[in-house]
Amino acid sequence: MKAKILRLWEKMTWSWSPRSDREASESVVKNFWLHWFPSRIYRGSLSWGYSLWLGTFSACLFIILALTGILLLFFYVPSVQNAYWSIKDLENVVAFGWLLRSQHRWAAHLMVGAAFLHLVRVFLTAAYRGQRVWNWYIGIALFIATLFLSFSGYLLPWDQLAYWALTIGTGIANAFPLIGKSIRFLLIGGNTIGQSSLLRFFGLHNFFLPAVLLFLFALHMWRIRKDGGLACVDHLVLKTKSTDITVNPTKTYSLLGIAEGTTIQVSTTEVLDEKNSVHASPHLARRIAVVLLLTTILTLFLALLFPAPLEEPANPSITPIPAKAPWYFLWLQELIATTTIKIGKITVSGGLIGGILVPGFLILLALIWPFLDKSPQECIGVWFHKSRKRQNVVFLLLCGAVIVLIIIGVYLRGPYWNFYWPWQNWPTIPTLY
Amino acid sequence: MKQDQTKLTRRFFLGLLGKLSILAALLAEAVGAIKAFIPQVLYEPSLKFKVGKADEFPEGLTFLPESKLYIFRDGNDFHAISAVCTHLFCVVDWKPDRQGFSCSCHGSVFSKEGINLSGPAPKPLPWFALSLASDGHLVVDSQKPVGRDYKFSI
Repeated sequence: MKAKILRLWEKMTWSWSPRSDREASESVVKNFWLHWFPSRIYRGSLSWGYSLWLGTFSACLFIILALTGILLLFFYVPSVQNAYWSIKDLENVVAFGWLLRSQHRWAAHLMVGAAFLHLVRVFLTAAYRGQRVWNWYIGIALFIATLFLSFSGYLLPWDQLAYWALTIGTGIANAFPLIGKSIRFLLIGGNTIGQSSLLRFFGLHNFFLPAVLLFLFALHMWRIRKDGGLACVDHLVLKTKSTDITVNPTKTYSLLGIAEGTTIQVSTTEVLDEKNSVHASPHLARRIAVVLLLTTILTLFLALLFPAPLEEPANPSITPIPAKAPWYFLWLQELIATTTIKIGKITVSGGLIGGILVPGFLILLALIWPFLDKSPQECIGVWFHKSRKRQNVVFLLLCGAVIVLIIIGVYLRGPYWNFYWPWQNWPTIPTLY
Repeated sequence: MKQDQTKLTRRFFLGLLGKLSILAALLAEAVGAIKAFIPQVLYEPSLKFKVGKADEFPEGLTFLPESKLYIFRDGNDFHAISAVCTHLFCVVDWKPDRQGFSCSCHGSVFSKEGINLSGPAPKPLPWFALSLASDGHLVVDSQKPVGRDYKFSI
């Protein structure tokens, strides 16, 4: 009996007790938690310096967000009258509720940053070339889903910050030509922001967007396996490819029947040999566990040191001065505030240019860039390859511009969106009411 | 047994019909589901509303935070200007020193008449038609924009 329980425990947790290579491989196949790993993994993929583990970091943040989010669901009331006060209760009455909320908020902010840095890493290592373009696309969709998840969660506390961020956010949708008004009407469920808006964003934040994200995440992981691991593997293949093997037709590669070919490991022999690779269990599993642990520690410490803010309850008649969107949208707010142009008698709203055209153009650029990139194959999986110098500079300049706009928005904008240096005091605003 | 590929067989036709009916059913379900998200009834304040007794308004300007509206009184003449910025719907503040409006969100500046002078606002603040209810209350119709020479006299 005892032996049976022990075996069950082993199966559920850690079945790895290899006495041979074969057993080490089998541990991956036989274990539920490890079955989505390859049995062997290229040493380069495990390097801290190559991928910086930013994707794993984002995934760990999502795990923390899901767990804290599920717990928060037990205390939050999605109604205009009660939402703010249920958050107040979390802050002051529920044991460790403040920590739960704080950690959720920090993980959300970090996830936006981590996903963005992951995207930058993939670009700088040219890891979107060839078949990998599908995973680049899935990654962009994941990044956008992350932004919307973060934004929809921003509204839920129903404080001044939440209410006015939503007013500005849906105002951007309103600036869309022709169908803008209908999009806004559908998003907030009426003409004015109220109960139906809160419930809609609650549903989006707690079910719809996480479901989309999980689905895309599964695709993202599957494509990594199909593409033969991280892009540094491609680089190795290029260097070592010697003997081709006849491809077994059962090894499929398809994505919606569009992507063709097979994995690199299937068509060449040397990638996963003894000197280049190690067993995924325990080497990959151990590193993922380390990243998860570090991520938990980081979010916990940030939550302890800088608890989540809560402003006064939402007041539709008083706009806080200044009203700012969340930091990752402040570059858009900066563009929105400064890009209204007049051509003759026609005025084009900054909401259209800064809120829709510029981000739309950037997304479009990200989608077509892999096809504009004509650099040679050997760039793939290499940081700052010299033949990609020019496009890396253009890309980093674009990223830099966004970051500069965010910094201006966060630190240098005061009342009425006027420019103030950090050492300048903001004027006191007399109010009429 | 080999089927003639070019000929439309009964088997193929019935199969196609089956697949199309699945597609049609899914589409109908989707249309219904999307329709549910378009509100049929809005539990919102009416767009035509009373704002208080006309003769109780003070001379000059009054801000009505509930209805996001500025009421101007000049003797017996009234007019109402929307306090919602035409840029991204923030509430504009009255600046007594400048005799105009400013938006705190993105810094749009409007004149006393609501004309957009600078900043990102693409349009002037709309003026709304006024009327007098039988109980002496001023009624604002925010669905009826009027010109900037509009005056409602009591």
